[in-house]
Amino acid sequence: MKIIVCVKEVAVVGDEIEIDGIDIDRDYVDLAINEWDATAVEQAVAMREAAGSGEVVVVTVGDEGAEDTMRRALAMGGDRGIRLEALEGDHADPVGVAARIAGVIRAEQADFVLVGTQSADAAHGATGAALAGHLGWPCAAVVREMDAPTGGRAIVGRELDGGVIARTDIALPAVLTIQTGLNQPRYATLRQIKQAADKEIRTEVAAESSQHARITAMRVPVSVGGATMLGDDPAAVASRIAQLIEEAR
Amino acid sequence: MLLLSTATRRTFDGFAQWQIGLWYILSAVSTLIFLYGCWRLIRKYRAGRANGTPPQVLRSLKQVLTNSAILRRSTWSGIAHLGVFYGFIVLFAGTVILAFDDHVAVPLGFGFWHGPFYLGYSLFLDVFGAALLLGLCFFLLRRLARLRRLDYARVDGKPVSAKRARYRLDDLVFTWSLVVIGATGFVIEALRIVEYKPSFEVWAPVGYALARVLESTGLTANTASSIHFSLWWFHGLLALAFVSAIPFTKAMHMLVAPAALVERDPTVSKTLPSEPEAGYATLTDFTVAHLVDLDACTKCGKCHEVCPATNSGMPLSPRDLILDLREAAASGLKEGLVPGVVEEATLWSCMQCNACVDICPVGVQHVPIINLLRRNAIEEGSADSMLQATLEKIHTTGNSFGEQKRKRPRWVKDAGLEIPDARKQPVEILWYVGDYASFDPANQKNTIRLAQMLTAAGVDFGILYDAERTAGNDVRRAGEEGLFQMLAEENIETISGCEFERILTTDPHTFNTLRNEYPTLGAPWTSEQVVHHTELLNELLDAGVLGVTNLLSVVGTYHDPCALGRYNGIFEQPRDLIRRCGVTLNEMPRNRDNSLCCGAGGGRIWMKETAEPGSRRPAEQRIDEAVEVAGVEIFMVACPKDAVMYTDAIKTSGHADVIELRELTELVFEACGFNSATVDPVAAFDPAATDA
Amino acid sequence: MSGTLVIVDHRDGRITDHSHEVLAAAVTHGSGDIDAIIVSSDTSLASQITTPGVARVIAVKVSETEPGSCTIRGAVHRVIELRNPSLVFAPFSPNLMASAPAIAAANGLGFASDVIAFASDGDTISATRSYYGGKVEADLEFPGRACTLLMLRGGVWAAAGDGAPVQVEEIAFDDDPDVRHIEYREAESTGVDITTADVLLSVGRGVGDQDAIERFESIAERLGVTLSVSRPLVDAGWISSDRQVGQSGKTVAPKLYIALGISGAVQHLAGMKGSQQIIAVNTDGNAPIFSVADLGSTCDMHDLADELEKLIG
Repeated sequence: MKIIVCVKEVAVVGDEIEIDGIDIDRDYVDLAINEWDATAVEQAVAMREAAGSGEVVVVTVGDEGAEDTMRRALAMGGDRGIRLEALEGDHADPVGVAARIAGVIRAEQADFVLVGTQSADAAHGATGAALAGHLGWPCAAVVREMDAPTGGRAIVGRELDGGVIARTDIALPAVLTIQTGLNQPRYATLRQIKQAADKEIRTEVAAESSQHARITAMRVPVSVGGATMLGDDPAAVASRIAQLIEEAR
Repeated sequence: MLLLSTATRRTFDGFAQWQIGLWYILSAVSTLIFLYGCWRLIRKYRAGRANGTPPQVLRSLKQVLTNSAILRRSTWSGIAHLGVFYGFIVLFAGTVILAFDDHVAVPLGFGFWHGPFYLGYSLFLDVFGAALLLGLCFFLLRRLARLRRLDYARVDGKPVSAKRARYRLDDLVFTWSLVVIGATGFVIEALRIVEYKPSFEVWAPVGYALARVLESTGLTANTASSIHFSLWWFHGLLALAFVSAIPFTKAMHMLVAPAALVERDPTVSKTLPSEPEAGYATLTDFTVAHLVDLDACTKCGKCHEVCPATNSGMPLSPRDLILDLREAAASGLKEGLVPGVVEEATLWSCMQCNACVDICPVGVQHVPIINLLRRNAIEEGSADSMLQATLEKIHTTGNSFGEQKRKRPRWVKDAGLEIPDARKQPVEILWYVGDYASFDPANQKNTIRLAQMLTAAGVDFGILYDAERTAGNDVRRAGEEGLFQMLAEENIETISGCEFERILTTDPHTFNTLRNEYPTLGAPWTSEQVVHHTELLNELLDAGVLGVTNLLSVVGTYHDPCALGRYNGIFEQPRDLIRRCGVTLNEMPRNRDNSLCCGAGGGRIWMKETAEPGSRRPAEQRIDEAVEVAGVEIFMVACPKDAVMYTDAIKTSGHADVIELRELTELVFEACGFNSATVDPVAAFDPAATDA
Repeated sequence: MSGTLVIVDHRDGRITDHSHEVLAAAVTHGSGDIDAIIVSSDTSLASQITTPGVARVIAVKVSETEPGSCTIRGAVHRVIELRNPSLVFAPFSPNLMASAPAIAAANGLGFASDVIAFASDGDTISATRSYYGGKVEADLEFPGRACTLLMLRGGVWAAAGDGAPVQVEEIAFDDDPDVRHIEYREAESTGVDITTADVLLSVGRGVGDQDAIERFESIAERLGVTLSVSRPLVDAGWISSDRQVGQSGKTVAPKLYIALGISGAVQHLAGMKGSQQIIAVNTDGNAPIFSVADLGSTCDMHDLADELEKLIG
């Protein structure tokens, strides 16, 4: 069983933001593994463990710093990694990024690809499905349940509005986008991450690229009709809430 | 004169030669069994890894000879044990001396067991034999009092093993066999006195008195003689059986406890070992010292009694943890320990407060054992989700709040202060502020107060601004050794680029690790260079650069933080500081080394509750204790985590109208006449408004 | 290239409300003829489209009532080939997330998802979407793309209906067996129905741990209101999903919605912004929840809990 997991290093933003051109100034940003992708890695590793053998390959589009996040995925149980160089403006273009990833997937011959349903920073919710489109593979998105594949197909549960689960039968190879809550990603200790330094990370530059969107401007939105702030005395807020509840009844 | 020089008695009087021979054969067998038992124990311990800490021979010798650790907080038990301890030693030595005289000295012509020596010997042995029996009786009677610490009921709901069900029986057999040996010894002595009526035997007062009693019942010399013979064999065989059983029963603590004390790491808990990084998976990973610890435990229950987790409905008893591991070792367990021998909820309940290690009379090191089990559990994926999230935040952002690093020094700007950057210029004092003091709004107020006082006092100090990371004390105690090492490496590198004389911190956890652990990891400073703010404030008051102008006439009680007090022995400096401010300090019953942990330590402030619902949490119990102190108005703390925990506990314990929290910085600030009203990290700060 | 296509989403014989909103948006701002695409074996679905301005409904007749993502992909691809549009709209919905981006990839279209605003001046189209949990907005354009696919966020545009039924054109298409619907399963229910509550006390990630949830549940009970939660608490397994407010949970519109420790991720806002009155408490003053709240405070929700408990007594 060969499973490819696409992992993104996402930018975690606090309450202070400075915009630099078409993205947030990196000084205001911490970097971490995307929670949805960590769920995907956990799923891949758990399935490989259940099968008893197989390979989990971690693919990331990012700069060299992103290898820290790849090491985290490898420490969780990934076997090796492939890093595609990031290009400026990638955060605008999930379909373009997916095209470059498709090149790597075609060369690898996987049983299926797992991608997080969305990234915490850009939240396109599209890279996985776009990847399937480039590859000509079937896709199931927002996967909340996943049975072990048999006979070249897998049965998954797709999460729809209102918490309804659509049980779906999908042919492999396929791209599945993984929703949080499918599992609890295991914690990779620093020791395991250090040991993962021995695992191979190959750098690649994509042969071809295409651009399907471009950011022209980024701004902090002007909040129209935002909330009237009450100050932060909890006692005052509590009595206001109690008053509002009375009025609502 | 004649009487004295002939005072003696014949050994083996009335024994046939073959009977004496049989006795010595049995003694030899008993000795061989004993040695075999010792060999088995030694072999078990040697399966462990090397200790890496120097043996504490002299210190242990002193502890053992004075029974000092047993006397701590249980004076009567300590005295009783001294009786048993020296009673046993003296009686045992007495037998050896006698054998020596009989088989070495006499044949070689220098027999000494007669005359004044004999009389002194008799007296000595009688007195110590009585002490032995009195001590043992004390222990037996005490069992009737149903002490909590001798209650062997489990606190984690697990089924009681067959071996554990026999604990009480084993204890009673042990104690009673010694009682019987001692008592029959006196009876034998009395019977012999009845038989021979030597007048010098008044030098054996107990035997003599008992003989008088026996005679008064009409016992004749002949009857006494025949009973004496049988009773002698009974006593002898029981004694031999006891000796041979020592390495197989509770009695083994006579040998193993001193060994445990010798092997005890002198900096136990203050420093935790770097190896093995993946912790303890199985018993074969344990060091020799820790394996010895498992057998040294005498089930005295002092750790069980003092543990804040045990006392607040959490499924951890340090005593039971050690005993469960002991049973696993006895069964030769080769597999994993967590879960199975130690459950996850048990393991994660520990606050690493060190109360158990501190009070254990035989030197068991529960804290590092639990820590090393945690390391392995985390490697195997057992960290609870809250802890995992916090560790990830620390890894990503360098602090446990998940805040961006640029926010760390925000309090400086918010307070309108100008504080030198220790990375850029040499300072006398490098102030390592700490996570809670930097990011927690309530603690920020005290950080600002301290900064104002230091500035007013003309202290040359600086901070590391956004280069500071969490020092990692609690990361290590939670079991994530790799992350701790990474943090330590980064922090050491940052600080190595600075020039300073001393390092200051207000956080006892930070204090502990910077002082005790970082120097072992290559930090370019010594332990003495690290100072806690209570120490520094006292210095400044001594030097007169800060002066108390406003004595606070209030009554308060002081809570010793675990990491400052019990770990590092700093009890009096904060108290001096408190008194200098004019506060009347009344102590809680549990103070200094007996302080009750607030519950935040060991990384628990980042973990889920494990206590049964409805339990009174340690911090709440502490406030319950505090409000009973005469006249108390304020609860004083010297630790930012204590400030957080007790602010909460005062509210939830229902005593908020009776007691208020004060951090020591706050007290000194007020007492030195600084203006509290202007200190608000969120509101704009007007420097002109301070008195400083 | 001209004309606009709208991919319509449906479930269990009903076209989704989100689709109606997208149709209205397309009509207002789209170029050329506006055609709606419905992929289903049930051609009667077309009669549910009554948005004035829609030129025709292209009913792609397949064998399944709930077609799989590959069938939808193939069907829309066929229609794109036939109609050569310059714009394709789709609801940004969980169901279409599997197919719409794939369509953009396979057909070389410009693409943006979770679009909250767009403008077209005949030749060029630009779209706006938010980034970083709603803290910033960005404008996008699609250089060199003759056709662009935009997935629109729900609850932004108003649906417009009850115009005359629209002309239907049927196309036959073979299902792609690679993805096949088996069945729908409703979300678990513990008997609590948060959608009927007048007042909801809702807690988010800020609550910290499972035990703290019980505290707020107790406060809610004593205040006589119902407890609800945001998604992360359900993901962590701390509470049943029938308490969840949000796109993958329940949509609620109570008289009063009290949001504690909830940042206001788009999917959560989608589920509660219809509330009559919203008061939000979050220590992050820039949290997106404040953009929909009427009243707000940056005090700590646990301190607030202390005060509420005092009031309750």
